[in-house]
Amino acid sequence: MTRFLLTEDKVTTFIEHLQSQKNVFAPHKRGTNSFAFEQVSDPASVELDYTRTLHSVKKFFMPPREQLLSFSLTDNSFTEPTVDPVDAIFLGVHSYDLQAVLKLDHNFSEGNPEKNYLKRREGALFVGVTFTPDKWHFSGSVGINPNDAEGFDVFLFAVENGYAVEAFTPEGEALLDGFKMSEFDSDIPAAADFNQHIYVPQGKLTEVFDNAWDNEIWEETSKECVGCGTCNLVCPTCYCFNVEDGVDVTATVGQRERHWDACMTRDFSEVAGGEIFREELAARQRHRVYRKFKYISDKTGQPWCVGCGRCTASCSAKISIVNIVNKLVQDHEQATVAPV
Amino acid sequence: MANKPRVAIFDFTGCEGCELNKLNFENELLDILAHVDIVEWREAMDDRVDEYDIAFVEGSLSTPDCIERIHEVRRKCKVLVSLGSCATLGGINAMKNIQPIEEVREEVYGEDKYLFPTLPALPLSAVVKVDYEVRGCPMTQIEFLKLFTALVRGQEPVKPDYAVCIECKLKENECVYEKGMICLGPVTMAGCDAHCPSFGQYCTGCRGLVTDANIAGMEEILVKHGLSVDEARKRLQLYNVNQLEGVQK
Repeated sequence: MTRFLLTEDKVTTFIEHLQSQKNVFAPHKRGTNSFAFEQVSDPASVELDYTRTLHSVKKFFMPPREQLLSFSLTDNSFTEPTVDPVDAIFLGVHSYDLQAVLKLDHNFSEGNPEKNYLKRREGALFVGVTFTPDKWHFSGSVGINPNDAEGFDVFLFAVENGYAVEAFTPEGEALLDGFKMSEFDSDIPAAADFNQHIYVPQGKLTEVFDNAWDNEIWEETSKECVGCGTCNLVCPTCYCFNVEDGVDVTATVGQRERHWDACMTRDFSEVAGGEIFREELAARQRHRVYRKFKYISDKTGQPWCVGCGRCTASCSAKISIVNIVNKLVQDHEQATVAPV
Repeated sequence: MANKPRVAIFDFTGCEGCELNKLNFENELLDILAHVDIVEWREAMDDRVDEYDIAFVEGSLSTPDCIERIHEVRRKCKVLVSLGSCATLGGINAMKNIQPIEEVREEVYGEDKYLFPTLPALPLSAVVKVDYEVRGCPMTQIEFLKLFTALVRGQEPVKPDYAVCIECKLKENECVYEKGMICLGPVTMAGCDAHCPSFGQYCTGCRGLVTDANIAGMEEILVKHGLSVDEARKRLQLYNVNQLEGVQK
């Protein structure tokens, strides 16, 4: 399909053009050194050149806190809040984050479909942008490259002085309609290299993880890990939640809330009666990594990690999932080398 | 509501900030009072009574007199709730527990030290049975309201046993460490809705440690972020001497 040139100086008018069609969410600066997806009010404050956002766009379809019911104790009635499609344009999404949304689509569609998530997902359009891998990105190792446009409606490929814009769906073409750009007929420059890698692809990892249960890395990592759960909450493919009922201080009305939960916490693995299934931090760490490279992967054939690097970048102890997996790979290879 | 639960409020060694924090419930105070009768509260009224259903107790136990009084409170109440860091953990008062007690007495009272017997600062639970706790310095208002509502409804309150980081991430706050500050959020019990980090501060650990906290791991994180081993330990001790060093009974 045709590519167009969006020069740097036209980016804000391009965002205004998108805004004239739907609400636009895009990365903005948050705090001193971070970025977050927010609704665009001032196109000039959008940051298309960013490392990674605190949360992925998951937060719009599965909000961190979500009211499932409100109820009245006086007449024993309840009402479910209406859930509306987010129906917006997500601008400046990195390829790994869209792949994470596609994985969540799978998780929330199979078995008992998760109706609130699926309803919010309706109408969402994604405009991707190239990213430059920093110290923590490793999505290349799970098959997702910085210029991977798969699943996007429009993609902005980073080129000199701006972006080469290409639409991949009819909805994407409609987004570009009426915005004047000249054609871009050069090649897209190769994206920058990753700074860290998992040594082997998922096909091999399946075998590695079959033999990783008793590896010493779990115990070693648990010395540094404090089980705060940050790695879970920032992960774009984590979707575990807890549900709690709360009653107002008048003791007449209340609400049922669902919020993100974290398998790295002790609380998470405790069930009624006080039994704790994963009391040791080592067991929780192993569970977390198995959720990304084994349990779901055995069913889908795909890693359930997208290589965004958030779990490591956000970890105050800087525990690296890449180092953990590579250690498993290394130990597996040593164990399977035929004795001389 | 007939036969409203009778509530009494007491203070031991502490700054009375937790009690004050109850008077600060400007929007909820009338709703709270609709459920209970407050029958004794030194800070707000003159009455004294012999029996009550729920005792809310602030402050740590740090003198022989405190020990006698808390036994009396326990005898007179059906449900005992510790309010705030001092009552629940010993609080910042417990920093004295790692100093020689005679030196502490002398430092504070000088040559009159013999007039003031003192004990290591203890949480209420070191001396009497505590049924429920509200943590925080001052006690966390949202946690108090949750507990209070559960009590008047005869339900078991849900309390989180996970780190402040969870609540911080639910709000998509930028990590305190990312701002170049240090923070005890990773090992501190949630329930405050990450109040301090949400307002530009770091977590001082006032709500105490999560169960089975990895202290060595936390100290290593602090050292990695520029503190000396000694400073790291001191940061953790600010509110958690009894948890870290074991309660001295």
